[in-house]
Amino acid sequence: MNDESNRQALQEDLAQLPATDPQRRAAIVPMMQSLQAERGYLDDKSIKEVAQVTGLSTTEVEELATFYSLIYRYPAGRHVLRVCDSLCCGLRGADRLLQAAEKYSGVSLGKVSPDGAFSVLPSICLGLCDQAPAALLDGEAVGSLDEAALQALLQRLQQED
Amino acid sequence: MGTMHIDGHEIPFQENDNILKAALAANIEIPYFCYHAALGSLGACRLCAVEIAPEDPNKKPRVVMSCLEPAKDGINVSVSAAAARQVRQTVIEFLMVNHPHDCPVCDEGGECRLQDMTVACGPPYRRYRGRKRTFTNQYLGPLVHHEMNRCITCYRCTRFYQDYALGDDLGAMRLRNEVYFGRFQEGPLTSPFAGNVIEVCPTGVFTDAVFRQHFARVWDLETAPSICPHCSVGCNTLPGARDGTLRRVCNRFHPEINRWFICDRGRYGHQYSEHPDRPLTAQVSGVKVSYREALAAAAEQIKAARDRTGGLGSTREDLESNAILQTLLNKLSGRFATFSDPQLETATTAAVAALQSSGGAPSLSEIEQADAALVVGDLTTHAPMMDLALRQAYRTGAKLAILHSGPSLLTRFAATTLTVAPHEIGAHLLHLNEQAATASTTSNKHENEKKLADIATYLTTAQRPILIGVSETMAAPEITALAQLANALGSRARLAYALPGANAYGTALLTPTNSTTAMLEAIESGQIQTLIVMGNDPLGDTRLGARWREARQCLSTFIVSDCVATATAEAADILLPVAAWTERGGTFVNYEGRAQGFAPVFQRAEPLPNTAEVLADLAHCLELALPDAAAVLSNIFPGYQAPLPGTLGSSLSAFPLTMQTETPIGSAPLGHPGHWQVTLASWYGDDVLASYAPALVELAPPAAALIHPTAALKERIEDKEQVRLRGPAGTVVLSVQLNNDVAADTIALARVTLAQLGVGHGDLLELERIS
Ligand code: SF4
Ligand code: SF4
Ligand code: FES
Ligand code: FES
Repeated sequence: MNDESNRQALQEDLAQLPATDPQRRAAIVPMMQSLQAERGYLDDKSIKEVAQVTGLSTTEVEELATFYSLIYRYPAGRHVLRVCDSLCCGLRGADRLLQAAEKYSGVSLGKVSPDGAFSVLPSICLGLCDQAPAALLDGEAVGSLDEAALQALLQRLQQED
Repeated sequence: MGTMHIDGHEIPFQENDNILKAALAANIEIPYFCYHAALGSLGACRLCAVEIAPEDPNKKPRVVMSCLEPAKDGINVSVSAAAARQVRQTVIEFLMVNHPHDCPVCDEGGECRLQDMTVACGPPYRRYRGRKRTFTNQYLGPLVHHEMNRCITCYRCTRFYQDYALGDDLGAMRLRNEVYFGRFQEGPLTSPFAGNVIEVCPTGVFTDAVFRQHFARVWDLETAPSICPHCSVGCNTLPGARDGTLRRVCNRFHPEINRWFICDRGRYGHQYSEHPDRPLTAQVSGVKVSYREALAAAAEQIKAARDRTGGLGSTREDLESNAILQTLLNKLSGRFATFSDPQLETATTAAVAALQSSGGAPSLSEIEQADAALVVGDLTTHAPMMDLALRQAYRTGAKLAILHSGPSLLTRFAATTLTVAPHEIGAHLLHLNEQAATASTTSNKHENEKKLADIATYLTTAQRPILIGVSETMAAPEITALAQLANALGSRARLAYALPGANAYGTALLTPTNSTTAMLEAIESGQIQTLIVMGNDPLGDTRLGARWREARQCLSTFIVSDCVATATAEAADILLPVAAWTERGGTFVNYEGRAQGFAPVFQRAEPLPNTAEVLADLAHCLELALPDAAAVLSNIFPGYQAPLPGTLGSSLSAFPLTMQTETPIGSAPLGHPGHWQVTLASWYGDDVLASYAPALVELAPPAAALIHPTAALKERIEDKEQVRLRGPAGTVVLSVQLNNDVAADTIALARVTLAQLGVGHGDLLELERIS
C-alpha cells in the first residue's frame, strides 16, 4: 500500500466515526486505536499520519499517544502483562511482582520476547486497588497476585500459546 | 476591590485576583513555581501553599494553594504558618528526589528559581538515597539548550509555547513521573518566540545555547537597561556582558510594551556585536589607522568640500546621532537625508504623519485587547512582538484579517486571509474603505469581494478594532488608505505601523521632504562630493543598491560609520567604526512615538566612540561649534527631555509631519508574460544587525523562489525546478518552492535575493525556465 491509499483508508475510517464526534480532532483516540489494531503499535510515521488526518500537530498527537498507556509507541508482544505499580499495589509488593515477571518470562520491562510472544509493562492504577497487587493480562484483570500466582499464570500462557 | 490579611498585613486585592497574585503585587513573597503573571495559575507545583484561618472558630485552619484560592475580603492568610511551611518543604523535597544535585555546573545556577526556593523552603539535608530518574535530552536547534533531568513539571514552558505563543512543536509528552517536555522529534524549535522558554522555565531545562558557548555566571554579568535595536517595537532588554564582551540579552519588563517576553531576533540578534568581521579599527583607503588619524582625514575632506558635503542618517541610528548629523550638515550648508530608498522614505514619513494625526499607535498591551484586527503585510517578520500581542487578541476571540502578498506566519490564526499581488493591495484597501462606509452585504460576489465584506464586518462591528500596516512593504498611498480606513471606523479604531528600524519614527521626524531623491541626484550631478553615511547601508539597498554603488563612484570621499560590516562600510574611503548598541547610550523612538533611553551596558577592552561622539569629534576637527545632543534635540522638539534608561519612556512633542507629495493609488499595471511582481519573503530573524548573528542566521530559510501552486501550474513550472530570475541589477538562479501563501502573478524572494536582483517589494521581475 502506498502512502496515498493508506491515508485514504484512514480518512474513510474517520468518516465512519460516530456523528457525535464534534470535530475532526476528537477522532484522535479511535484513530490511534484503529491504527494500533492494524500495526501493533504506532511508529513515527503513524503519528504523522494521524496528525494529518485529524488536523492536529504531530506534537499534539505525540502528547496524546504517549499519555494513554494503552497506546504503544514501541512494539509490544502478542500477550501483554501490565503490572500495576501505583500506590496500593506499590505498597503491596508491585516492585517484587515486576521483577518476578521479568524473571519468569525472561523479558525485561518494555521489551518483547524474541519470539514476539510477550511483553511486561508497568501500569498506572487499574482500579483494582481492592485486589492489590493487581495486573492486566491481555486485558483480563488478575488480582491478589504473588510470585507463585504470577509464575503459574505465565506458565499457563506459555502452554496455551 | 477588597482587603485581606496576610500574616497581619493588610493586603488590597483586585477583582478576580487569587491570593498569590495579590500578595506578589503587594511585594509579599509566597514561594511558587508554576504560577506566572502572563500564564496564570495551574496548581501543578503545589509550592504556593498557605494557611487560611477558618471563618468558624470551631473549625480548623486549612492549607490551600494560594494561586488557586480567590482572594476574599477579610480572610486571614498565613504564609509563615507551620503547616504551610511543612507542605512547601515536602514539595521541595519531593521535587529534589529526581533533580540532579549539581547546581555548580548547571547553567541556570545563580538565577534558578528551584535553587532559590530550595534554599528558602526546602529541608536542609537530603534523605533520598535511591536512583534518580533520567531522561535523554533533545537537540532543539542553535538557540535553546535542553536538559530534561532538571524538570520539575511546572508546565510553564508548554503553557508559554503552545497556549500563549501558539507554537506547535514543543509539548508535554508521556505521563506519571516521566512527563517529558520536548519535541516530537529532535530539531530546531520553530516559534519566533522560542527563546522565552529559557526565562519562563524556573530551572535549567531550557537555557540559552548561545550564552552557553561563552558562558559567565549571572553574578559576574554587567547589565544596564537597554532597548532592543532590531525593530521598531522597542522592547526593553537587559543585556549582560563580561570581560568586555557581550554574552546575552534577556527581557526587561515594560508594562505597556513587551512585558515578560521578547522575540528571538531580540534575544539572539546581539551576536552581531561579536561578529568576527565587525569593524573595530578605523581605516583610510583600506589601511588601518588610529581613530584620530581617520577623523583628521575626514575633517580635511569635509573642509575641502564644505557645502558639497552630504550626510545620510539612518532609521537604525539613535535620535541623538541623526539630529547631530543634521545639525552638522546645517552648519556646513550641506545636504541631509536619512533613507537609502525614496519609496521607503515617503512610506515611513506618511506612516508617522498618519500616526500623529490619528492620536498615536496603540501599545502592545492595547493591541492584546483588540477584538478585531486588520494586518497589511507580514507582521511577524517586521515587528515580531506585535505579532505576539495579536496572538493574545486572537486567543480571546478577536477576528484577525490579513491582507498580504507573501508568506506570513499570522495567516494561521486569521479568520480571513486575502492574498493579493503587491500592486493590488492599494485597490483592496480603497475597496475596504467603501465597504466599511456602506456596510453593504450584497450576495453573489467574487470570492475576494466576499472576503472584503467579511473584513469590513469584523472591523465595523468591533469595539476595539486595530489596523496594522507593515510600512516597509507598503507604498505611501497604501499607508494613507489604511489611515483613512482607521479614520472612517471612528475613534474606536486604532492605527499602527511596523516601521523599518528601531528609530524609524524618530528619524522620520528629522527627515527633510524628498531628501533621498534629492541626495541621490545631488551626488550624481556632482553637487555633493563628500558623503558621510552613518549606520546606513545604501550600497546594500535591495532596490537602489546598484544606483548608489554607481553614485558612490561620483564621490571624492565616502565616509562611513557603522558597527557592522555592510557593503557600504566595505566601500568606505574612511571608515569610522562605532560602538554597538549595548556599548552606548542613546534614545530610540519606537513605533508608538515613545522615546526610550538606553544606557551603555559595558565597555570593550578598546572602547569605540558612539556615533554622536564621532560627529562631535569631527565638528571639533572642523572647528565648528556644535551644541550637545540635549541642546540639539530640545531645539527640534519643544520641551525635550532625554528619557532616562529604565523608565517607561516618554512621547515626543514633535511638529506634525506634512505628508510628502504622493501619487494616488492607480489601477494595477497589467501583467505581461514572463513578468512577475516581487514580494519580500522575510523571516523573523531578518534585520540588518541580526543578519550578522550566526546562531540566528542558521535558522534562516534557504533562498528560493516562492510561487503559488496555481501560478506555477499556469506557467508549467514544477516544484524544485531551477529558474533564472532577471532584475535590473543582475541575474539569479534559484529553485522554485511552491507556497500557498504567495499571491497570483507574484514571486516571493528573500531580502538577499532582492538585493542581488536590484528589485524591491512591488517591482517587476522576469522569470525564465531553465530547461
Ligand atoms: S521544562 Fe522547565 S518550564 Fe517546562 S515543565 Fe519542566 S521545569 Fe517547568
Ligand atoms: S519585537 Fe522587535 S524590538 Fe521587540 S525583541 Fe523583537 S526585534 Fe526587538
Ligand atoms: S493501585 Fe494498583 S490497581 Fe489501584
Ligand atoms: S504556584 Fe500554585 S501550585 Fe504552583
